[in-house]
Amino acid sequence: MTLVMVVDDDQDLAEMLGIVLTGAGIDVDLVSRGDEVLEVFRNNPPDLVLLDVMLPGLDGIEVCKLIRAESMVPIVMLSAKGDTHDVVRGLEAGADDYMVKPFRHPSELIARIRTRLRRTNADVSGQLTIGDLTIDVTAHEVIRAGKKIALTRLEFDLLVALAKEPGRVFTRDALLGEVWGYRHSTDTRLVNVHVQRLRSKVEHDPEHPQIVMTVRGVGYKAGVLGGS
Amino acid sequence: MNRYARKVRTSLASKVIFSTVLLSLGVVWLTGSALYSQLSDGVKQVNLETSLAEARSSFFNAQYQFLLVNGAPDSIISKTVQDVIISSTAVSLNQDRKSIFLSRFEEFNRVKSAGVAPDYSTATDELLVSSFPAELRKRVRSSDLVEYQYTTVKYDNRSDANVLIAGRRIAIPESGNYEMYLVYSLTNQNTTLSLIKSSLLLTGFALLFLIALITWLVVRQVVRPVREAARIAQQFTQGEFSQRMKVESSDEIATLGTAFNEMALSLESQITRLENLSRVQQRFVSDVSHELRTPLTTLRMAAEVIYGAKAGFDPTISRSSELLVAQLDRFERLLEDLLEVSRFDAEVAVLEPVEFDLVRLIERCIEDVRANAQDHPISIDIDHETEYVMIKADIRRVERIMRNLLSNALDHADEKPILVSVVATETEVGIGVRDYGSGMDQSSLSRVFDRFWRADPSRARVRGGTGLGLSIALEDARLHNGELDAWGSPGHGAHFVLTLPIVAGNQISGRPIKPQPKDYPQPI
Repeated sequence: MTLVMVVDDDQDLAEMLGIVLTGAGIDVDLVSRGDEVLEVFRNNPPDLVLLDVMLPGLDGIEVCKLIRAESMVPIVMLSAKGDTHDVVRGLEAGADDYMVKPFRHPSELIARIRTRLRRTNADVSGQLTIGDLTIDVTAHEVIRAGKKIALTRLEFDLLVALAKEPGRVFTRDALLGEVWGYRHSTDTRLVNVHVQRLRSKVEHDPEHPQIVMTVRGVGYKAGVLGGS
Repeated sequence: MNRYARKVRTSLASKVIFSTVLLSLGVVWLTGSALYSQLSDGVKQVNLETSLAEARSSFFNAQYQFLLVNGAPDSIISKTVQDVIISSTAVSLNQDRKSIFLSRFEEFNRVKSAGVAPDYSTATDELLVSSFPAELRKRVRSSDLVEYQYTTVKYDNRSDANVLIAGRRIAIPESGNYEMYLVYSLTNQNTTLSLIKSSLLLTGFALLFLIALITWLVVRQVVRPVREAARIAQQFTQGEFSQRMKVESSDEIATLGTAFNEMALSLESQITRLENLSRVQQRFVSDVSHELRTPLTTLRMAAEVIYGAKAGFDPTISRSSELLVAQLDRFERLLEDLLEVSRFDAEVAVLEPVEFDLVRLIERCIEDVRANAQDHPISIDIDHETEYVMIKADIRRVERIMRNLLSNALDHADEKPILVSVVATETEVGIGVRDYGSGMDQSSLSRVFDRFWRADPSRARVRGGTGLGLSIALEDARLHNGELDAWGSPGHGAHFVLTLPIVAGNQISGRPIKPQPKDYPQPI
């Protein structure tokens, strides 16, 4: 059974999250302090961490960085702060998704958790290429000239989504649906931030991207090798 | 030239100095001219009297000499004539040159000796006799007195000269009656006069310069504190409240400084107080909104769980769960709007511009609003002149403006159609949302963007709006440097026009769509 670690200092919300997740057939491990997360995490590794930002003991951002340092486990941030700089800060710390309280519907939470849990790109296997990069989908590796490039799971998913349909121009909404599992949302900040992070890792010159190309006014598409 | 004219107009010191110098110039000119004319008259008078007295004495001497040689032989007389010429042309110290002109106009019959009477007519210094005034010569011939005249005479070998000519009739024995003229050069007198003139001019200009200098010094004393006050006032408008004027004396300027400083102090403390007050208040609103979010999340989830299980409940409980969910929705929207308003009030709202197709966004908003308004058969027509309009703006805010305008129109459309129009120019784009409902009067129009304001308090809020939508829409528009205008007329519906720059932050130079709709006053 799937195990989700819920880190929130608000007992009632944590309990409610527990009820909703258990109702969806997901096991829940409740932690209420930031400085207790790592110990519980090591003793009983979850499949996903649902992490509040404001926590006693240790700030959610710091907790996120600590987990990221030793695991690729999906992290979904949960916060009452929805300003762009808050969202960007959470994503920069290594979170895969950032949900602003209060979310519209419990099913939205379930859907986003399931998307993160799903072995993404199950329909794709073998090797893909994008620009001068080779993506080994099965082994979850990105290789340039024989060297491995370390990407987070989400960055990897983003790259695969672009690479598997080389001619297609993805709008930000489409990418949100493809990679994050959103059906409808205008919060395209997630896409922008992750594209920037991805570019900083895979582009030769992030100012002039050749792999994740911007299509002005529309969105993004995969770069073609040797093309401009 | 214009630059100087402007400087004179804009600087108090320059203005005062300019007018002082101008007025002083008049005064100095008048006194200088009067002084000069008095001085020159005096100099001329003295010169004339001296010259005439000397001329008289010369003429007397000549007459006397000629009287003595009456009856003497021609050689003696000729010698006497030479003597007279030499003694008469001898110059004194202050004289420049003196010429003599003798001309016989009447020949005597010789009595003592025989032969033709010799003519002793002569002119010294190569004086051209033809340049002598005829009128003077006539007077001299017919008079027994010394006659004189100022004139210009010509010389054979040098330039013309201003002269004083004194003349008298002289009889030379055994020869005839002569006109004898003494020609006094006025060069020295003129030199004196021009010396006086240039001294006066020099003094005048020096005086003007000194007056300007003194004025400048005096004006500076007054203007400097005024300038300082202006500079400090300017810094005040830029939010620099710590500046104060220096108070060094106890005159009126110091009073100005003290009063100014008191005003500054009072302003500073008022502003600081207000700033603190509003900061505390904004902080409070923001904190409340954030603190409410966590319990609201729990509430929502609990309500959804109950709502999801409503099929098994008693109808009243089932309906209650529906109301609970609906009201939580409304509560959440209100919270979001309050938070947004507090961001605007705290001036921390940030524009996040991206490039997008406005027409597609509007179409999507219309679809969404239409989907939520199934109970109201309302048609929305979009009338745009181009296929797409690419703009650079904060897509989240533009979408929120459109949703607010559309749901506001839906609330007041009275089930009549709503028309959305888009007109783009090079620099800006206008979006009009027109409804044909009950409309608004002037007093409603002036308050339509006020927070929590309702056009008709008795009217039910159909869409469940928060009452903050239009107010937030206006702030959103202005954050882009755009504008949101409202037009309304009772019975003729309303028209809201959003004008945005094509690139957020640029200035808009006009309204592609006028707030007054084209179809007014004909209602459809």
